[in-house]
Amino acid sequence: MIRPWRILCGVAIAIYAFMFAPIVITATVSFNAQNQSRFPPSGFSLRWWAEAIDPRWIEPIVFSLKLATLSAAAATLLGLPMAFALVRYRFPGRSLLSLLALSPLMLPALVTGIGLLQFLQLAGLNDWLGLPALVAGHIVICMPFAVRTIAISLSGLPGNLQNAAMSLGARHGMTLWTVTLPLIKGGIFAGATFAFVQSFTDYSMSLFLANAESLPIPIMILNYIEFGFTPTLAAIAVITLMIPLILVLIVQRAFKIGDFLYSAPSHG
Amino acid sequence: MADPAVELVDLHKTYGSAVAVGGINLTVEPGEFLTLLGPSGCGKTTTLSMIAGFVEPTSGSIRLGGRSVEKLPPFRRDIGLVFQDYALFPHMDVATNVGFGLRMRHVEKKEAARRVAEALELVQLGHLGNRRPAALSGGQRQRVALARALVIRPAVLLLDEPLSNLDLKLREEMRLEISAVQRRTGITTVLVTHDQGEALAVSDRIAVMRAGRVEQVGKPGEIYESPATRFVAEFIGSMNFLPGEALADAHAGQTCAVRTAHGVVEGKVASSADGIARGSSVSVAVRPERLRVVEQAPSDGLMIEAKIEQFVYLGSKTELHARSASGTLYLLEHANDGLRQSYAAGDIIRMTAAKADLLLFPDSGS
Repeated sequence: MIRPWRILCGVAIAIYAFMFAPIVITATVSFNAQNQSRFPPSGFSLRWWAEAIDPRWIEPIVFSLKLATLSAAAATLLGLPMAFALVRYRFPGRSLLSLLALSPLMLPALVTGIGLLQFLQLAGLNDWLGLPALVAGHIVICMPFAVRTIAISLSGLPGNLQNAAMSLGARHGMTLWTVTLPLIKGGIFAGATFAFVQSFTDYSMSLFLANAESLPIPIMILNYIEFGFTPTLAAIAVITLMIPLILVLIVQRAFKIGDFLYSAPSHG
Repeated sequence: MADPAVELVDLHKTYGSAVAVGGINLTVEPGEFLTLLGPSGCGKTTTLSMIAGFVEPTSGSIRLGGRSVEKLPPFRRDIGLVFQDYALFPHMDVATNVGFGLRMRHVEKKEAARRVAEALELVQLGHLGNRRPAALSGGQRQRVALARALVIRPAVLLLDEPLSNLDLKLREEMRLEISAVQRRTGITTVLVTHDQGEALAVSDRIAVMRAGRVEQVGKPGEIYESPATRFVAEFIGSMNFLPGEALADAHAGQTCAVRTAHGVVEGKVASSADGIARGSSVSVAVRPERLRVVEQAPSDGLMIEAKIEQFVYLGSKTELHARSASGTLYLLEHANDGLRQSYAAGDIIRMTAAKADLLLFPDSGS
C-alpha cells in the first residue's frame, strides 16, 4: 500500500518541478552558443550575457531598483501607523479600513493602473507620468504586504510589554522606540521586503504609468519580447530574477521572514 | 500623621451596563502589605489596573501618598508593577531589563549599574545579568520582574497574580521570598491574587472582594477566624454549615442560642450581619479543624453523630467526610500527631466543637 504522505510528496515535487523547470531552461538558454532559444542548448557562450550588461538594459534595472526602494520605503512608513491603528484600536470604520488596506491584493493591478492613469489625465497631472506616478501606483500595490506583516508581528506582541515599559516611567514615544519597534522590526523588514519584491516584479501597474524616460525592467522586457525571445532576454530574465531572490535570502537570514508566511512570529 | 500610601475613595468602573468595580473604599498605610483577594471576575485586577493607571475609573478617586493620580498616565505615578506573565523585554538581557526604569529616569550610568547589581542581589540573581529572559526559568523570570519593579524605588509596589504561573513548590518558595523582600525594603505593596493560601501567608491585611465590592478587610487571622459574611467564610478555607433556628434576637457580634438537629448550640453572630431575629433560620458555621471527635457525648452543646463516608489521608493531616442521619455532609480535619486512632469508612463517629468556634450567619441574603 502506498502511504498517503508519499503521494503528497510526489505532488509537491511535481509542483516544484513545474515551477522551477522553466526557470532552469531559461537560464540554460542564456548560455547558448547560437542565436536560438532552444533547449537543450548547443554549445556554450557568454556573448548574450555580454550583450545583457549594456546600458540599454542596466538603466531600466537600476530604475526598477530605485522605484522598488522608494515604493517599499513609502509603503512601509505608511503601513506602520495603519497597522497600529488596525491592531490596537477599535474605532468605527475599522473593518472598512482593514478591507481597503488589503483590497489591492484582490483588485487587478491592471484596473487600478488604468484608474490612476485616468485620474492623472483628468486632474491635468500628465507631468506626473514616469517616476512620481509609478511610485504612487506601486505604493498602492505594496501597502497590503507592509500592513499585513507589520500587523501580524504587532498582534503577536504581548500587550503587557508596553504597559510594563510605561509603569517603569517610559512615555508613549519612548515605549514605542525602546520596546515596540525593536520587537516588531522583523515584521517591518519582512513587510518592506515583500513590498520591494512586489514593486520590482510588477508590470501591470507600470504598463500605464511608465513613459519613455522611465522604464522599469519588466516593461522593457515586455517591449522586447514582442520581437521574439532571444538568449539576451533570457540573460536579462535571470538577472531580474536574481535580484529579489538574493534580497529575500539576505533578509531571511537576519529576520526569519518566513515566520510571517507560515506562522505567528516568536519573540525571544 | 503621614498620608496613606494608597487611598481609594468610592472607586467605580463600569463598562456599559456591566459593573466591574462598584464602589471601593480602601486605605493602605505606608509599608503595609495589602492583598486584594477574590475569585476571577471580582474586580481585583481592574482595581489594580486603575491604581497603575492603565484603566481610567468611571468615578471616584485614587490618591497615592496624598496626591490625586486618577488623571496621571502610568509613567507619572511612581509605581512598580509585576505582571502575571512577568512582561520582561525579550530583546534585552536581565541587567538591561532591570535597568530600564533607571534609564527612563536618567539615573547616572555608574549609579544605575550599582543599583541594578544591588536589586539583582536582593532577588539572588546577581550572576545572571547577561542572560536573556528566554534562557531563564519561570522562577528566575519572576525574580527579574520583581527586581525591575523594585530598582526604581517606587512609592507603591503592585503585584498582579505574580505567582500563578509557577508550580506549587516554587510558588511557596517565592511566597516567602516576596514576603522577605517586602519586609527588607519596607515598600508599600498591593497584591492581587485568587489564591487564599498566598493571601494568608504574605499579607498584613486582606481585602476580600466579590462582584466589584470589598466584602471584608482584615488581618489574615481575622478573615479566617471571624469571616464577616458567608461568602468570605466559604471562600477562605473550608467551612461546615449546619442549618438551625435562632432562639433569640441578636445583633452582629453578640452571642445567640440556636436550635439545630444536633442540639441547642451557642455561637457568635457574624460581624457584617444586620443581626438575627428570633425564629429566623440561620447557619451555624464551623471550620473542619475545629470539629473534634469525642468518645463520650458532651452534656450540652453541639453533638453530631455521623458515618464516615470517605477517609482522605494527606500526610500531615487527615480529612474525614462524614454524613449525619439528617443527610448533611461534614468535613473534619485532624492533624496526624501520632496520638489519635485511625478511622475507616463506615465507622460511626461523634463530633463536637467549642462554643467559641461557632459562627452564626443569617440565611436570608448571603
